Amino acid sequence: MELKLISTSDIAVFVDGLLKAGKVVVAPVLKQSGKVFFKPVQSFSEVATDYIQTAFSAKEVVFPKVEELFTYQHNEEGGLDIKDQLDRIPETVVWGLRPCDAAGFDYLNKFFLQENPDVYFKARYDKLTLVTISCSKCDESCFCTSVDSHPGDTKGSDILLTAMEGKYYVEVITEKGYSLITSNSTLFTSTDTLSKESFLAKPATQFSMDEIKDRIQNAYASAEWKHASMGCYSCGACAFACPTCTCFDIQDEGTQDHGRRVRCWDACGLSQFTKHASGHNPRNTQTERRRQRLMHKFKYSVENLGVVSCVGCGRCIRVCPSHLNIFENILSVTK
Amino acid sequence: MAETFEPKIVAFVCNWCTYAGADLAGTSRTKYETNVRIIRFPCTGRIDFMLLIKAFQNGADGIIVSGCHPNDCHYTSGNFHARRRWMVFKSMLEFMGFPTERITFSWVSAAEGKKWADLVNETTDSVRALGSFTDYKNLDFSQFNQMDHEAIAR
Amino acid sequence: MKQLQDKAAELLENGTVNLLIGFSEDLGKRPVPCFIEKAEEANILVFNQECKNNLSVYLHKKEVKDAVKIGLVANIATLRSVMQLLSENQLWSLTLTYLTVNTAGELVVLSSAEELEAYVQANFPTCRPEDKEMLDKLNAMTRQERWAFWKDQLSECVKCYACRAVCPMCYCTVCTTECNQPQWIKTSADTSGNFEYHTMRAMHLGGRCINCGECGRICPAGIPVHLLTAQMNQEIEQEFGGKTGWSLKGGYAMNSFKPGDKENFIK
Repeated sequence: MELKLISTSDIAVFVDGLLKAGKVVVAPVLKQSGKVFFKPVQSFSEVATDYIQTAFSAKEVVFPKVEELFTYQHNEEGGLDIKDQLDRIPETVVWGLRPCDAAGFDYLNKFFLQENPDVYFKARYDKLTLVTISCSKCDESCFCTSVDSHPGDTKGSDILLTAMEGKYYVEVITEKGYSLITSNSTLFTSTDTLSKESFLAKPATQFSMDEIKDRIQNAYASAEWKHASMGCYSCGACAFACPTCTCFDIQDEGTQDHGRRVRCWDACGLSQFTKHASGHNPRNTQTERRRQRLMHKFKYSVENLGVVSCVGCGRCIRVCPSHLNIFENILSVTK
Repeated sequence: MAETFEPKIVAFVCNWCTYAGADLAGTSRTKYETNVRIIRFPCTGRIDFMLLIKAFQNGADGIIVSGCHPNDCHYTSGNFHARRRWMVFKSMLEFMGFPTERITFSWVSAAEGKKWADLVNETTDSVRALGSFTDYKNLDFSQFNQMDHEAIAR
Repeated sequence: MKQLQDKAAELLENGTVNLLIGFSEDLGKRPVPCFIEKAEEANILVFNQECKNNLSVYLHKKEVKDAVKIGLVANIATLRSVMQLLSENQLWSLTLTYLTVNTAGELVVLSSAEELEAYVQANFPTCRPEDKEMLDKLNAMTRQERWAFWKDQLSECVKCYACRAVCPMCYCTVCTTECNQPQWIKTSADTSGNFEYHTMRAMHLGGRCINCGECGRICPAGIPVHLLTAQMNQEIEQEFGGKTGWSLKGGYAMNSFKPGDKENFIK
């Protein structure tokens, strides 16, 4: 790990430099609705800074809401021309992630790159550098400290910045991060280890994963699930806003002559998600669907991939039309 | 030598009146523009508004929707329901900024072969003047997909 | 507030109601829907201007319908939704009691459909000023400006279907979007698919939407989708008369016709 400093005023120079070098920079942008989203920017002046959390996560950069897997076209010889985007992914930098989001990318990595790696994810992830900024403030929906993380966590990031007086403390964690710094190295000076503690937010800790890992073993049969899911409207907002939800649907769109195959987001909360071709739906009520979502995040991911897939960003709580609270639910079903 | 633009017009017509009227235009050897593809419905009341959007999505530049005159519907009231639906749908599309001048609604009876031919000619001329419906075809820009690299850099 | 809590406790205690749906405060001090089955839980109930969720949508949920005797803490929009649902014969298996607060701040308890109708007609709301302002602004734009506006807005949509999920009028057990033989509406969230979906949903709500505005308020992407249905229902009311969520009698504008309907665009 390399440790550097950069003055606050030089941040804009650095980011604009990345843009000039031809990289795609994806950063938080404030939209007219008052919500902040990750979008490609053309200059640092577009980047939003005064917000707690973006509405949606940055997972779109590696897992777009609509992804063309390939297009097909009948050609004159009677064969098919199949084209994909895999060799056209640009060098991309995501700027302004939160540590919880970076932990989300860490999970996505573990999920998509197993024995048969997802080539679409891999193509995008290989060209991606993640620059995270530690959290100096939080709200009552944030609970990263309950899920094995904290506001200054480096997990999943290539570079972690922490804002201090007049400057940013720069922890360069990976090779990718290092090559980004060296692209404009005159802006950075070396430093010894500094303490981040006083500059970090202090979200309330609701539970520890050590406790939950034990108690959740018996949670499936809990009578509390019905109450925990009563307010659920059965939409996909929580899944789509979540940095680690990866469920998708694959559809073919087109005619016999030409068309495309797309991958698009899907959500386990939607009522037809598990409907079989026979018409039987094993998760026919919202109670069962919500139970599945929470058990997946806090038990099945831990068992299958060794890591809890909830990162405590609180987006699900904020976007939910009834603000269903995931950590309150986990506490009540594991009592 | 560039091809001049020829619009694709899709016509949603009812079987009993307009389709028969179009047949009459044919048997009378009336010459009219060939840009139209006709889709036959039992009644205009069967025409789902989504079909019009689907037609545009699949490459139509203009649409004709036509059926029996009010009070003459083969199923008594299908065209009355259709008329209400078209009124609401048209104003909905206008509110969304959709160019409703690309859609022509009409009543053409089985005896009005000439009216059908005139309608097709007029619609083809006006859609030709409006040009290809690129606004809709260009809608499919999806962020983070590299099929349209210029769009990312925009 | 105390009056509301006491009344709710009383209804649960004496068995008039098995399940009460109302609002409570979450950790962020936001009013959120709550579901109470015991009288002692009634002290968590709150009710104020911030309580905007349209709770009538829960009346379609299996876990709620199982309770049969249901109490609903409702704002005027919710009561209108219930009126519209009753006129569409949707709540026949339930026995409903409504608790609301009138403009003078008094608790009102409505125990029958007729009492509900009388109250709704006496307290019928007008279009919200912020919605009217947006509608006027959009209608004053040129067509190209409106196209650019909706294209920009709809490109943000992720097709989470939250708008459909919070709408009390969207009660189809299998929605058109879930039909895949043929794939009527694309599942993918690119702009043309979003355009299809929102147009279709607005049309399916024609003459039925009561303009609670929830769909636009809760959209995670911040899209004002409620303006589409608001505009359409304004037009429908002007052209064909009849108010939504007004009367127990069925027969809404898009389900009927008059031979004398007038338009100026059919050749």
